[in-house]
Amino acid sequence: MDIGNIKKHSDLNFEVAQAKKNALEKLRSRQLMAYNERLFTADANTINLVSTLKQHSKDFYVLDVNDNPCHVKDPDDFLNKLIERNQETLNAYQQLHQDLATKRK
Amino acid sequence: MTTGVLMYCFNTPDMNYHRLAERCVAQIRKYLKLEITIITNLETFKKFKPMGMINYKLVDNSTTNTRPYRGKSVAWYNKERALAYEHSPYDTTILMDCDYFVFSSTLLELANTKFDMMLHDRVHDLTGKDMIMGKDEGTLPLVWATVTLFRKTTNTEAIFAMIRHVQEYYSHYRNLYRIRYINYRNDYAFAIALHQLNLGSRIPTPMTMLSDIVDVIDSDEDGIVFEYGDNINFTSGQDVHVMDKEWCNG
Repeated sequence: MDIGNIKKHSDLNFEVAQAKKNALEKLRSRQLMAYNERLFTADANTINLVSTLKQHSKDFYVLDVNDNPCHVKDPDDFLNKLIERNQETLNAYQQLHQDLATKRK
Repeated sequence: MTTGVLMYCFNTPDMNYHRLAERCVAQIRKYLKLEITIITNLETFKKFKPMGMINYKLVDNSTTNTRPYRGKSVAWYNKERALAYEHSPYDTTILMDCDYFVFSSTLLELANTKFDMMLHDRVHDLTGKDMIMGKDEGTLPLVWATVTLFRKTTNTEAIFAMIRHVQEYYSHYRNLYRIRYINYRNDYAFAIALHQLNLGSRIPTPMTMLSDIVDVIDSDEDGIVFEYGDNINFTSGQDVHVMDKEWCNG
């Protein structure tokens, strides 16, 4: 591979990496979710935490993204909303990821 | 409890900000579906096309500030924003620059939470070139006043009173915080007020931005296409602060 092709390859990789970064920022932004007047990220950490606490108690407290306590009185409802939002954003990201994989080939 | 969007829009000799505001209104209607209030002056008000139900408040704005834009110094009418607490008719206000374009309902999620004031403290440059954040701009934790959510509380009233005070004695506070940028900038005034009062919440995700050397070459209601150097890229479904002020001129 000559230097011209290496440069093309490098430019393409930069574009793909940037597109991935932009898509991840979009995903994180779309995962922000208001619940009981508190702000949460519908990511794996929050889902795991709520899912675990739910197994021990019918209601409990968790900290939101700004470290404010939130009383979760209906864990099933909260968990469903978190999972729904999480999967919605990941589906969109997965589509883009597939497009990028095609672009790289 | 009422929630609405408040915008400041003053045309300058160099920029047709009303065109940006018109586009901004269309995006807010599609994605946020909130009431909108525009603070403007008579000259700019006359340029607006009919946009249906919008609350207008006409003021005589200050015309003493300037900013660098694409290699020249241009007029910048940004001082009225310090009066947003008084100007806003809403309990919860999304104070937004008219060059911030919403392509999602994320701001509604933020508005539905409990806070006094909430704004971005980080940015994400869509080009990947990190052209926006300067290095060592000052000694205080910077925030971006581009999108500021606030509720009418005693804390917020104090923040805006402090912002007006900072504006009045800006050279003193600029020296105190060793801010390099000479002209009055709301980002700094808001950051100083929040720092002095130890108040305010941060929006947890960075503000997506395109710097003023990036040209917006196409757009629809879902996103925009932009060009920088030899690259063309696009963003959709993501709110974005566009610093190219001329793209809505057609």
